[in-house]
Amino acid sequence: MSTPLVQFSGITKSYFGVEVLKNISFTLPAGSMTGLVGENGAGKSTLMNILGGNVAVDSGSILLNGKTFVPSTPQESAEHGIAFIHQELNLFPNLTIAENLFLTRFPRATGSPFIDRQTIHRRTSELLAEIGLDVSPQRLVETLSAGERQLVEIAKALSMDARLIIFDEPTTSLSIRETDRLFALISRLRERKLTMIYISHALTDVLRLCDRIVVLRDGEIAGSGRADEFTTERLVTLMVGRTMNQLFPTRSGKPTNQTLLEVSGLTQPDVLRNISFTLKRGEVLGLSGLMGAGRTELARILFGLDPCASGTVALEGKSLNRLSPRQLIQRGFAFLTENRRSEGLCMDASVADNLALTTLTEHGRTTVRWLSNESGRKAMQRIRGVVRLDPKASDNQAVRTLSGGNQQKVVLGKWLLIRPRVFILDEPTRGIDVGAKYEIYRLIYELADQGAGIFVISSEMEELMGLCDRILVMKAGELVDELPREEFDRERILRGALGGTVFQERSS
Amino acid sequence: MTVSSAASVESSSVALLRRLFLSNYLVLVLTVLFFISLAPFTPGFASANNLLGILAYLLPLFIAAIGLTAVMITGGIDLSVTSIIALTSVVGARIMTADGSGGSAAFGLCAMIGLGVALGAMNGLTVTVLRLPAFIVTLVSMMFLSGFAIWLTQSKNIDQLPQAFLQLGKHLPFALTITAVPGIAVHLLLRKTVFGRWLYAIGQNATTAHISGIPTRLITFAAYVLSGFCAALASVLLTGRLETASPVLGREILLDIIGATVIGGTSLFGGRGTIVGTFFGVLFLTVLDNALNLLNLSQFSITITKGSVILFAAVLDTMRQRIARQTV
Amino acid sequence: MKRLTKPLLQFAPLLLFIGVLLFFGCQSPRFLEVRNLINIIVQASSTGIVAIGMTFVLLTAGVDLSVGAIMFVAAAVAGKLAVSGRSMFLILPVMVSVGLCVGAFNAFFITRLRVVAFIVTLATLFIGRGLGLRITETRAMNLPDSFLMIGSFRWLSVPLPAWILAGLLLIAHLILTRTPFGRQIFAVGADAEMARKAGVRTKTILAGVYLVSGVCAAIAAMVSLGQLGAVSPKFGEQKEFAAIAAAVLGGTSLFGGRGNVFPGTLLGALLIQSIENGLVVMNANPYIYPMATSAVIFTAVVMESLRNRVRRSSAAVL
Repeated sequence: MSTPLVQFSGITKSYFGVEVLKNISFTLPAGSMTGLVGENGAGKSTLMNILGGNVAVDSGSILLNGKTFVPSTPQESAEHGIAFIHQELNLFPNLTIAENLFLTRFPRATGSPFIDRQTIHRRTSELLAEIGLDVSPQRLVETLSAGERQLVEIAKALSMDARLIIFDEPTTSLSIRETDRLFALISRLRERKLTMIYISHALTDVLRLCDRIVVLRDGEIAGSGRADEFTTERLVTLMVGRTMNQLFPTRSGKPTNQTLLEVSGLTQPDVLRNISFTLKRGEVLGLSGLMGAGRTELARILFGLDPCASGTVALEGKSLNRLSPRQLIQRGFAFLTENRRSEGLCMDASVADNLALTTLTEHGRTTVRWLSNESGRKAMQRIRGVVRLDPKASDNQAVRTLSGGNQQKVVLGKWLLIRPRVFILDEPTRGIDVGAKYEIYRLIYELADQGAGIFVISSEMEELMGLCDRILVMKAGELVDELPREEFDRERILRGALGGTVFQERSS
Repeated sequence: MTVSSAASVESSSVALLRRLFLSNYLVLVLTVLFFISLAPFTPGFASANNLLGILAYLLPLFIAAIGLTAVMITGGIDLSVTSIIALTSVVGARIMTADGSGGSAAFGLCAMIGLGVALGAMNGLTVTVLRLPAFIVTLVSMMFLSGFAIWLTQSKNIDQLPQAFLQLGKHLPFALTITAVPGIAVHLLLRKTVFGRWLYAIGQNATTAHISGIPTRLITFAAYVLSGFCAALASVLLTGRLETASPVLGREILLDIIGATVIGGTSLFGGRGTIVGTFFGVLFLTVLDNALNLLNLSQFSITITKGSVILFAAVLDTMRQRIARQTV
Repeated sequence: MKRLTKPLLQFAPLLLFIGVLLFFGCQSPRFLEVRNLINIIVQASSTGIVAIGMTFVLLTAGVDLSVGAIMFVAAAVAGKLAVSGRSMFLILPVMVSVGLCVGAFNAFFITRLRVVAFIVTLATLFIGRGLGLRITETRAMNLPDSFLMIGSFRWLSVPLPAWILAGLLLIAHLILTRTPFGRQIFAVGADAEMARKAGVRTKTILAGVYLVSGVCAAIAAMVSLGQLGAVSPKFGEQKEFAAIAAAVLGGTSLFGGRGNVFPGTLLGALLIQSIENGLVVMNANPYIYPMATSAVIFTAVVMESLRNRVRRSSAAVL
């Protein structure tokens, strides 16, 4: 046996007296692809931060190629051939592809202060050809799609002669087709005997891609072994530490036949074309489609955030056209955006302040809207119970310090406080662990059973198929298919979302 | 035993220091310390007359800083306050000196306030409707309004203003009332009302605020209007105190106003700041300025000291923020 | 409609500049004479030079309010040395070192103590003004004629200030577009934290731009001295605002990562100067200058923001 590329032994790390990693030991054989799974807070990011030189260990050691490896800065880790592909991409939109690849090590002709542009363009072209991306090295990164940027990231890793590439939730912002393209590239990299770590909540992807899997729970290894020894169910059980009978809660109610929201003929040039659908009271309606198909754009238009050239939206027969978000909220609309950090929360503000954002006026009396603390506090305590927010999180704690799942619960709580009748959720479980996902699904069902209409946008097919009563499929700004629960079919949805023509359009 | 109790005494005194350091009253404590330590060596520093002088000097600064605090909480800035002060001063003076009757003082006062509100509204509209960065918008209006005031008067002062009007700035009880009423009102507005909470939310994250149904544009607009209104009041006090309307009135206090607000704990990035803090900031700068004047230091030493103090306060604030964050 | 507005907005500062030239050209034929055009460049040179340094700073999403004060201190030191009979060869390097020192002072507080640039440079403005007043003893100071040479010396019938401006522009442009330092400035401006993680020495870059800004301010002080021949207590006052205006007029974003010195900042500086010059040629009331200038700056900024909005909306469709 050859020496493993990386060997973790006895890694321990605490923050403020809380052990987040307890005596972690495992190896990464050279040329292997290891899946690292676990709930948020299980210690995955801390472990990777140690490898990336962002965090120092309390005890334990890492051997890289048999030699002790103690990176103290991200640069040091990069110099040793460790590259990260993060969910938030680390590319500068205002620079060209070539400049992004060579930012910290621009080649210069001897004695010249200037960058040797010819060389970087030539080498970038070679790297882009290697990963199968056919664009000019001089393209500005801001003109690339999310999937293309992901590939550029990989090109960057290759350009640094990476020996170990760590993918951290690489597919969260990719469309289905871009994900396929990424996976194809990953398998080519495997053939080249690159060692990789793949971190994801999408367990099916992990099972499909990896040779070996390590499951972390509460800072300890809950299980590890060859990938074919695991199933999704077993992984979930190991991750949450109890048997989860199901990923989705049981639905007690059923959708009604009463139309709640009627959308007809929504059109905005270059964004949406003639979108018509209805949402019934008590229904959970899903929207599937590729990244860039116009799903989020549709949600934003429904919520009055973006303009719309023509078409009508009516709530129980009353027109809602040209209303502001504020007016829509007063009529019972709620919108959980796909980006909770920049659009859903005030990160530095407290839990209480964030929960109160939507309902301040309800607690204001008199014309100057003097705030009544008592009624606000009562509502706050009630909603904390409803969304089952971590009781350890105090009302005055900044939401920045909460885990992703608890942050999302705060956003949900904020919207549940207005007692929504139409709730639009855009990627409600992105980057959230299995346990918190279940809670969110439960809340969605509760709300639907109370007669609200739920409109869920998601890139996770399993989520839509498990959660929804009906799924709409969107392609290039148009609705192309509609499936009632009985007809749910993964392939049919994919076919609709991809369509025959899209391939040609996109690849040209 | 003794060792551990000594250690605990030490750790509790460290904790006390730490609490003091992170407290909202740090600036006030520093001001008092500064005052006490300088009073024995500075002739007349603690005299009633001088304290009243400090107060009179402080009031216009404070009132202008109130409006600026509101604007900065939204994440904006208003560089045009002193230009508004100058323009309202000369326009008001023009109206009041057009005829010598007593009635024109009231009319002039109303015109000044109306003009201040209108100019604030203009800034607010440009920031919210055209969505330009506040720094540039108010920089341009600073240049334009100050140019306009100078052009209007051909760079001359206007004297012989009605006594009734001058009393507003000169007579301390009047000036105190003019400052205290809006000061307390805005303080309560920020602390106790929906408007205040919205203002902070906008400064923390305008996108989240907008999606959460907060009328972000209206509230931001209101902050600039408030700033214009406060600038006009400051102009009334300054014009009265100096007994003359000048097209460059207040030009040298712009940086004092901004500096005091920041020393008082208002963040340049929005979402943080209080009226009480701003008051402490203004008090601090004014006491410092006064002491330096009494010590008979030259103009250049005063300027240098003031700059260093602003810098020192900013370093302190940066450290406090960092420690406060780590504590969470 | 969209097809027409897009390129129109793309070249907003240039079009505005041409518009201003045409307007004044129609008002007075003297305005468009070559002599007057060169005059505009010469008059714009000190603001232009300060604005070059300011562009570096703005590109990192910072701001340098102390440039006017740096000019004052450098000029005051130069005046003191010149009056005591020192030679130009000593004075000019000393001025540059003054710029470097103040820049380093700013850089220390911004990078080491991590205080917001706005406040640090605001404080430096106070301190610098105070220092300058101390050195000049609050009096105006006349300089020997050798200084006026900087302003009046001509090569190919173009005065030296214009050459200095052109030279600095060329150097700055090459630094920003062709050197690792320049490209890393753009990276830091786009996202400083990300740049740090990528291995860019963020602190060095940030310190660098404040040094550049300090040096540019010092050189601008030389040019200004050459033109005025005297240091008054108002020397360099409000220059920071003119420089920011010129850079922003030229399309540099206050939020960092976007902008250029050529043609952007140059156009901005020339635009501001041609308005003032045009009004002089027209014999307009001098009190009208600041109003006219700020009105044009406002127009340009509005056009720039519309342009950004068009770009953003077309990016969203991608």
